[in-house]
Amino acid sequence: MRHWMVGLALVALFILPVAGQAPSTYKAPRSPHKDGKPDLNGIWQANNTANWNIQGQAARQGPILELGAAFSVPAGLGVVEGDEIPYQPWAAAKKKENAAKWLELDPEVKCYMPGVPRANYMPYPFQIVQTPTHILMAYEFASASRTIYMNTKEESPADTWMGWSRGRWEGDTLVVDVNSFNDQTWFDRAGNFHSEALHVVERYTPVSRDVLQYDVTIEDPKVFTRPWKMSMPLYRRAEKNAQLLEYKCVEFVEELMYGNLKKKP
Amino acid sequence: MAISRKSRNVGLTLALALMAASPAADLSAEAQSAKAEAQSAKAASPAEARSAKAEGARTPWGDPDLQGIWSIATITPFERPSALADKAQLTEQEAAEAEKTFLKTQNQDRRDGAGTDADVALAYNDFWWDRGTKVVSTRQSSLVVDPPDGRVPALTAEGKARATARAARGYDSWQDRSLWERCITRGLPMIPGPYNNNYQILQTPDNVVILHEMIHDARIVPLDGRPHVGQSIRQWFGDSRGRWEGNTLVVDTTNFTDKANYRGSTEGLHLIERFTRVDKDTVRYEFTIDDPTTFTKKWTAAIPMARTDEQIYEYACHEGNYGMVNLLKGARVQEKAGGEK
Repeated sequence: MRHWMVGLALVALFILPVAGQAPSTYKAPRSPHKDGKPDLNGIWQANNTANWNIQGQAARQGPILELGAAFSVPAGLGVVEGDEIPYQPWAAAKKKENAAKWLELDPEVKCYMPGVPRANYMPYPFQIVQTPTHILMAYEFASASRTIYMNTKEESPADTWMGWSRGRWEGDTLVVDVNSFNDQTWFDRAGNFHSEALHVVERYTPVSRDVLQYDVTIEDPKVFTRPWKMSMPLYRRAEKNAQLLEYKCVEFVEELMYGNLKKKP
Repeated sequence: MAISRKSRNVGLTLALALMAASPAADLSAEAQSAKAEAQSAKAASPAEARSAKAEGARTPWGDPDLQGIWSIATITPFERPSALADKAQLTEQEAAEAEKTFLKTQNQDRRDGAGTDADVALAYNDFWWDRGTKVVSTRQSSLVVDPPDGRVPALTAEGKARATARAARGYDSWQDRSLWERCITRGLPMIPGPYNNNYQILQTPDNVVILHEMIHDARIVPLDGRPHVGQSIRQWFGDSRGRWEGNTLVVDTTNFTDKANYRGSTEGLHLIERFTRVDKDTVRYEFTIDDPTTFTKKWTAAIPMARTDEQIYEYACHEGNYGMVNLLKGARVQEKAGGEK
């Protein structure tokens, strides 16, 4: 027991700094726009199970019998700090209901724009295209994208699926403040959700040539009792020929969404 | 969409011919340009003539700077109206007249007798439209500039068959509806539409991005000389490769899916686009359609992209596609009532 505790403490000592902030030793190459900022251009992708469940989970059988082991649900450690999401009581019940009605309610199933931060850890690559005034994040899933407006106080003209993103540099960390969401997107396939009051602060820190440390703070006073955090590495797609392809999923869901309205033969 | 051949009024003809540039009419692609024979060099436009002194900004790494938000909204028709057969270029006065007439005849806020079909069709009033109020800055009389008659060349027999098959659309299934109504994409090439005509260009040394507001597409064009992806990968936007030729960005696109089907084109479509910054407020956009199984010859359109102060909005489409549900539901209700749709 005691050895186990000591072991855990040691592990925590090594792991926590990595999860929380980047080591200051790595110096990223500078942007070709010559503004002295780190160059985040590239194609990135998470490699975890957060899109299944931002919290930890054991593997289990998937919902489609015929898909067997090929598309069952993988185990994962989760990406939420402390593995706890501080739902208000009503919201905890709602989350449970969402999970029970996953296929019916998850906006991913319908090919809707996935929102932030979910878009960043779906199992598809996304590309960062960086200029001093605008940073574009283009996602393969549903051809979604978002523009991060740098150093602006301008407010969003309307609420959105992908949020209204305003960025600034803190040293070599890109800090993005995202608000003006609607209440239609989820965090994962486990039914974790938010309201339109969602406020996300993202921190992107290059920690090596091929890794961005991605730290997110989630705040939504209508759903949670306090702000909470998730973090994960985003990995560069290092293939020489890497490029975004299309995952235009609308045509994959039309039968599902409109099939009952088709003319009967 | 039939275009009045009898109209004597340049302005009215242009206004009517706007429909030729609208997506619905875009599909009909009638083959009445068979006369067009000359295919050689395109006439140099005034914009091209100006380009020599419009060196414009450079990126920090020395490429021509195309960055900004650009609008291709225009009332200039896609194909040249027959009444303007010999007129590749409008005078300033003709252009002004065309704009004035357009405003008058295309006013969607008017009422055409409450309860009539014509009036109901105006439910999309001018609040919803944003197709511009001006002819293109070059005053060319059509967006098609080659062949010199300003009309899309005749379709091949195969192309005609495809266009006819596609024109027979109904309401049996979503598959009978346009890609636009299905919220899949506006696709390529970039053609002025009735609204959301804004595009944003971003650059790095390795990529040019063209962000399409309409149905949200971020088109990323690699500049590093890599080869096209394998033939088995067919995409709605194809596979684009860019290179700089002097001050012009040339984008070469292959690997289209035949589902993209621009004016009946096949997956063999080879699209060549050219972007040139001609002055502070204009990027000249030019595209050439090369698909010999569909068109009897190559053809080219030129569209000035005008700088705009607007921003790019998030264009959610599929997420709220009540239109599709209602179209199909309406058709089923009509069937049940025994009426022909």
